Amino acid sequence: MDTSLINVPFLIDTFFVALSGVPVALLVTVVSLLIAVPIGFFLALTRINQIPVINTIAKIYVSFVRGTPIIIQIFVLYSFIPLMLNGIFKKYNIEYSVYDINPLWYAFIIFAFNTAAVLVEVFRSALSTVDKGQLEAAQSVGLTNAQAYRRIIIPQALVTALPNLCTATVNLIKATSLGYAISLYEITLKAKVAANVGYNYVEAYIDIFIVYLILCIVVEQLFKWWEKRLSRYKYANA
Amino acid sequence: MEKYFDIEYIWSSLPQLLPFLKVTFLVVGLSVLIGSLFGLVLAFAKMSNSKLLRVLANAYTTVMRCTPSIVLLFLVYYGVPAFAEGLFGLDLQDIHTGVYVVLTFTLQFAAMMSEVARSAIQSINKGQYEAAVSVGLTPFQAYRRIIFPQAFVVALPNFGNGLISILQEGALAYTIGFVDVVGKANLIIANNYNTHQLEIYIALAIIYWVLAIVIEKIFELLEKAFSKGSRSLKVS
Repeated sequence: MDTSLINVPFLIDTFFVALSGVPVALLVTVVSLLIAVPIGFFLALTRINQIPVINTIAKIYVSFVRGTPIIIQIFVLYSFIPLMLNGIFKKYNIEYSVYDINPLWYAFIIFAFNTAAVLVEVFRSALSTVDKGQLEAAQSVGLTNAQAYRRIIIPQALVTALPNLCTATVNLIKATSLGYAISLYEITLKAKVAANVGYNYVEAYIDIFIVYLILCIVVEQLFKWWEKRLSRYKYANA
Repeated sequence: MEKYFDIEYIWSSLPQLLPFLKVTFLVVGLSVLIGSLFGLVLAFAKMSNSKLLRVLANAYTTVMRCTPSIVLLFLVYYGVPAFAEGLFGLDLQDIHTGVYVVLTFTLQFAAMMSEVARSAIQSINKGQYEAAVSVGLTPFQAYRRIIFPQAFVVALPNFGNGLISILQEGALAYTIGFVDVVGKANLIIANNYNTHQLEIYIALAIIYWVLAIVIEKIFELLEKAFSKGSRSLKVS
């Protein structure tokens, strides 16, 4: 520790280092969400309609993801995927080293795996808030099932799902801070590496902390704004 | 693939890992205990008439909700000793890492609990409090005998969820060199010259999974037991 409590120039410099990790964190968040939303929605539908085998598999999957810490899921998947790929590559004589895979790919798979399970529950509870009569009414006027869902059910369910979707997104952004475990250079790891040189860990973590705080507040405001827009229909006739 | 993956390692590592659950439980137990008390104080601050207290308590919750556990953990681990030394000249070098772990998760759990407690207390009809005060109970008595017992039942499921999530966040304690189940698992892997990681991690996942299911079931039973006299719709 230096004589001064906080190394201010380092604090300011590292803030921008941490900030430069934001694109990676956001990329992982967005891609994971894009993969997770359809899977989560599909599994939520199978849960609601009690489709035999898939329903049970979805139940176990959700229970596993909710029952284990994300860091353990990262550990398991990060050691399982290369082992599996290695086996496949050897079998088909593909000349590709699994260790050259960009950690981004692992991040997409791991965080999508995690978020999809969270979203199953989010969508399930949101869809169950829509009255069954809505679907029946839509069908009775001649809409197909897909049309009824797209035009009638989803717009209503989405409004109820949004607050939980916001929580899931914020949690996902926070979870990307565990990217260090797969050597993904995002906000936390970038600032940490910068701090390694002079042991300025306090400053580095203050920076990381501020960056996540800003990111999270911006995302929450965006979701609030979106929710307001989506729920306009409720007040249209008021 | 067979020779890389040996299921035998999962079973043989379990007896080595399980004793370290005590450490995990101790940390989680202490964090939950102190965090609940602190959370209750925050909940009252959020419901108080003073605007300053309300703003402070809400800001605290927002900040905690936005901070990844690992960042908070390191901030506490590096920040507390540095500030203690810089501001008060205290030397905290010899303090056990467990203290920082408990401190971090206490701060986090308090934020979660403040929301749980606030919504539970507010879910109780205000008339209950007024009725209690009108028959001559002091505000403290009214809370202790009338409001808390009812709010407690409302808060139970969320408290259970909070407990599970603090148990999971606690898995990160290994990052500052704390030896709980996860720390022990990493030690086992290091002893195996970094082989068979997958099996050890699967064993770890099984432990956490079973724990989460057990906690969930316990809270379901508790909720059933406590809501016996309830006349609301959510009959069990």
